[in-house]
Amino acid sequence: MARRPRARKRNAPRAKKRRNRSPHYSPFSTWWNQVNAAISFSLRRLWYNPISTWITLAAIAIALSLPAALHLMVKNMQTLTDDNQQIPTISVFLKQHISTDQAKDRGELISELSEVVTVLFVSKENALNKFKRLSGFAETLETLEENPLPHALVVTPNLRIMNDTKLTNLIRTLKSYPEVDAVQSDNEWMQRLRAIMDIAERVILVVSVLLALTVLLVVGNTIRLDIENRKEEIDVARFIGATRSYIRQPFIFGGLWYGFFGGILSLVIVHFSIFFLIAPTNRLSTLYGTQFNISGLDFSTSFYILIASGLLGIVGAWIAVTSHLRRREITF
Amino acid sequence: MIEFKQISKKYPTGQLALYNVNLTLQKGEMAFLTGHSGAGKSTLLRLIAGLEQPSDGTLMIEKTDVGKLKTKQIPLYRRRIGMIFQDHHLLADRSVFDNVALPLRITGLHHRDIRRRVHAALDKVSLLNKEKQNPMMLSAGEKQRVGIARAVVNKPKIILADEPTGNLDPELAQDIMYTFKQFNDLGATILVASHDHHLIEHMRKRIIVLQKVNV
Ligand SMILES: Nc1ncnc2c1ncn2[C@@H]1O[C@H](COP(=O)(O)OP(=O)(O)OP(=O)(O)O)[C@@H](O)[C@H]1O
Ligand SMILES: [Mg+2]
Repeated sequence: MARRPRARKRNAPRAKKRRNRSPHYSPFSTWWNQVNAAISFSLRRLWYNPISTWITLAAIAIALSLPAALHLMVKNMQTLTDDNQQIPTISVFLKQHISTDQAKDRGELISELSEVVTVLFVSKENALNKFKRLSGFAETLETLEENPLPHALVVTPNLRIMNDTKLTNLIRTLKSYPEVDAVQSDNEWMQRLRAIMDIAERVILVVSVLLALTVLLVVGNTIRLDIENRKEEIDVARFIGATRSYIRQPFIFGGLWYGFFGGILSLVIVHFSIFFLIAPTNRLSTLYGTQFNISGLDFSTSFYILIASGLLGIVGAWIAVTSHLRRREITF
Repeated sequence: MIEFKQISKKYPTGQLALYNVNLTLQKGEMAFLTGHSGAGKSTLLRLIAGLEQPSDGTLMIEKTDVGKLKTKQIPLYRRRIGMIFQDHHLLADRSVFDNVALPLRITGLHHRDIRRRVHAALDKVSLLNKEKQNPMMLSAGEKQRVGIARAVVNKPKIILADEPTGNLDPELAQDIMYTFKQFNDLGATILVASHDHHLIEHMRKRIIVLQKVNV
């Protein structure tokens, strides 16, 4: 009761008073105090409702890790095709009757094309020797009277100016020469793989959009239930002068935490899955005699996933709390 | 200070709760509002508190035309008024301290100032020793005093109370009324709705009788 005299003085008539706001409070510090309270309040709510928090986080994390894992799969396949693209050569097989000189002349002419970097002449003798060596049929082949293989030219196209249509055109040009019997592009299957991956990327996009919607719904619904539980508190706060943004803040932060922590959990899931895959992929690549290292999510991708999941959480919470306020506001 | 000019209030349900009410309360005045159940006492208080808008007439509170407030201004207006509710509206999920602190948190005060002011308010209703308790564990009279502390913690110039002594025994009821009188002595304008005639006559303050609207 020691405060009484002071209070009386303050309440004296005609005394200048601004009782509802202390003079040293700037709008920013008011806002900051509210935000601070909303952050700690929303975090405490997650902490003290561990079961529902973990269920929600797990649902979000699973929804997020699916597109992340698919993305990673495509990325790894891309590095696979990229590696092999370092030597995209075109094999040009000449007709049987073409002589070595004719073949070399044609090779000269081809090397002058602007799309071509080098042309390597592979004589039929060389080709046979190589075939003997690799096939293990050496003795059988020895009995042949005549070399069944044609001369060949191995053409390396200029990668810097090459795209799929130009490559097709070059192949068509090569085929049109009278000496040429057949043309085979080594990277045809690469092109096919790339086309498949283009489709895969679209699929990932669609899946990502659907799962983003799922995250939105999960967060929205969790926040809606939270609002339902705190309806009385919201009403009381409104009665005594809470603004809409004050009501919104803790829920928006709640949504942010769900999104953000769900995102972190999904990164953990993805990394664990990769860890799980490393041993079998290594075994597979040794079987194929290649070196293929599975790569994880890089920093920037992880960062974007967290940003996106945080935003999804905020949007989901915003929708939930705004629709509640709109429905509730009619009465007062 | 508080001026009702030909105020009518019709609820969306079509219920006419107040019809053509004229009433003036001076600054620093303390008055009791009485009348039969359904006469519109709660409605009248809710209008002053900014929880309802008048359907007709002009309601001036300290130079503010309450009927003309924009949606955005209403929360700020509500903070200027301390309201004690009929069913006290205390939150069961937090301590007495946090219940009383709510209006200050809404205003965005720093927690240091919040603590100081909440303690001052609890001190005024002699509940400082119960600040950590859950309000649901308190007796009816104590609950009502927590509601009073919450209403006055923001130091409003107008304090409204809707049946604050509804289910209290006479002695406690009188205590509560004296608490209001103390705030009135400090300069606050006070309007208390009550149908306890014996009690309000004893207080020797102005008594406003509200007649039920006959349709
Ligand atoms: N939210 C509402 N919607 C519709 N009608 C309402 C609402 N609140 C009150 N009323 C009606 O308005 C009239 C006045 O109600 P009010 O609560 O103001 O009376 P009161 O004098 O406080 O009564 P009591 O002494 O029982 O508390 C009543 O007929 C009531 O049914
Ligand atoms: Mg009433």
